[in-house]
Amino acid sequence: MKLAGKVKAWEKHQKAVPSVDEPNGKVWGCFRSCFLQSAAPYTEGIAYKILKNDLGMDLREAPGHTSCGAIGYHGDVSNLETQMVVAARNFSVAHYELGVNNLFSFCVTSFANYTEVIKLWEEEPELKEYTEKMLKETTGREFWIPRVSGGRPSVVHASDVFFANRHFLAAKAKYSLKGVKATDHVGCHYAKIFPEESMGGAEFPQVLVGILEAFGAEVVDYPERRHCCGMGFRQCAFPENRDYTAGSVYKKLQSLKEAHPDCKLILTNCPGCTVFLDAEQGTIKEVLEEEFNVSILDYAQLTGLLLGYDPFKDCGLNAKAVAIEPLLDQIGIPYDKSKTAEQRRRPF
Amino acid sequence: MGKLFDELKKDILYQHGMNACLNCGVCTAVCPAAEFNDYSPREVMNTVQSECDEDIKELLKSDKIWYCGQCFSCKTRCPRGNSAASVILALRRLSIRHGYFAESEKGRQQLFAKRVFGQNMLDRGYTLLAKNISPAHFPELGENWEYYYEHMEEMRQWWDVPMDLENSPGSHRQIPEQDLDEIRAIYQKTGAIALMEAVEKAMEKKLGSKAEVEKYWQTWLETGDSRNYELKGENKS
Repeated sequence: MKLAGKVKAWEKHQKAVPSVDEPNGKVWGCFRSCFLQSAAPYTEGIAYKILKNDLGMDLREAPGHTSCGAIGYHGDVSNLETQMVVAARNFSVAHYELGVNNLFSFCVTSFANYTEVIKLWEEEPELKEYTEKMLKETTGREFWIPRVSGGRPSVVHASDVFFANRHFLAAKAKYSLKGVKATDHVGCHYAKIFPEESMGGAEFPQVLVGILEAFGAEVVDYPERRHCCGMGFRQCAFPENRDYTAGSVYKKLQSLKEAHPDCKLILTNCPGCTVFLDAEQGTIKEVLEEEFNVSILDYAQLTGLLLGYDPFKDCGLNAKAVAIEPLLDQIGIPYDKSKTAEQRRRPF
Repeated sequence: MGKLFDELKKDILYQHGMNACLNCGVCTAVCPAAEFNDYSPREVMNTVQSECDEDIKELLKSDKIWYCGQCFSCKTRCPRGNSAASVILALRRLSIRHGYFAESEKGRQQLFAKRVFGQNMLDRGYTLLAKNISPAHFPELGENWEYYYEHMEEMRQWWDVPMDLENSPGSHRQIPEQDLDEIRAIYQKTGAIALMEAVEKAMEKKLGSKAEVEKYWQTWLETGDSRNYELKGENKS
């Protein structure tokens, strides 16, 4: 029964993302994440290397692309109207300046924001009209709507592109996750706002599980798997609110530890989760003297490790609160053991 | 029914977020913010649905609407297709436009949102900048992050993500001035600038002067905790 429900949900939530062997799967326009570029810039660095060098993609971005501004939307400094016109501007730059038809973003909040405005334009013709008019008035640019997933108005997330190409990546992998227990933590803004736009929906999202399974991992479930990491925009951004973030992380990791104490790897696709699920383990250790030592890697960092990229210089695992070496040892990935942990992390 | 509710009703976020709530409480059951704070999205939906201006005003002046973490777990689960998180967005904008946010401790934090997310967007085209993730405000990122922060430019080069490049794509680049002008025009025309200005204005009224607003801001920058700023006299709340 349970399995039948899962299969049914999975069939309902298939998203069509072209892989690199398809004619429209090679050229991509991409939007950077302002959270990643500020708090974890190396994650976009390794994602670029993999997509360009290992998959041979042509990635295009314009100097004039801006942030989607959605941190400011969920942080209450802009209106929905603002978000629509900023999105339309970024789409227009990508299509008319860079000649791209397919777009992905590195941030799940950008993904949700772009999805939200595209749906609004579809559902409320007057909002589309407003956006077109305002875009022309403020920038002189032409309106254009991307159609990435199955030819309908949509954009996708960078982790969708990794998912679509997971078998090509797994075929190139130097190391495998065989015998390694792992689980996923899918960003709320990837799956919860528009479950129909999530690979697999909100209940059984496949986007990260598919990547883990392609690399041979044993995927485990735990009760609080779908609980938010507690990033919360203004909650994590202002230190006085961050008890909410630390509390959410504690709840999740306690639940994982009870169900699978030997699972030491969580794969993420959201910038906020990637940073805070790791960092708050440091807070918990300091405040409660409780250690979880669960490595939090995003889809690009994990793929990079398995393809043989350097854990520190390429994948940026210098700046984690949780030491990565035990996981590298478990997978069998070599690193310079003649250096101390600090020397490996501090090159200057 | 009253003026506040009428204004709320005009907001598309409210129109899309509220389709008659049956008060089942599923939103509160799954809400991470409700677990850790005196907050219930069910209560918020109920208050709004009452259409009672007095109750709505009280809500807009309280800490409650600022506790939501905007995860939208409530939207996924609501059997009526409501989105309490979207209603929260509409309420927060209403609270800002009327200056009610300045009446609560969590609401006053809007000054930081405005001066960080909003100002960054207007100055650089990004809501967040590398300098914002300082070890002082993010101690949990640890000693390796402190090292990175001290060697920011070299570390970014080492990771092959150099920063602040001009006329180039890439991470944390300098977005050309003419593109930033387009963003500023969009923010002006779509009411974002007015929303941000309303924050400064209401904070000045609440704290008594522009100088006090600066003191509040500096206290936060230096200590990372706005509660170290003490409200004076009759403003204490």
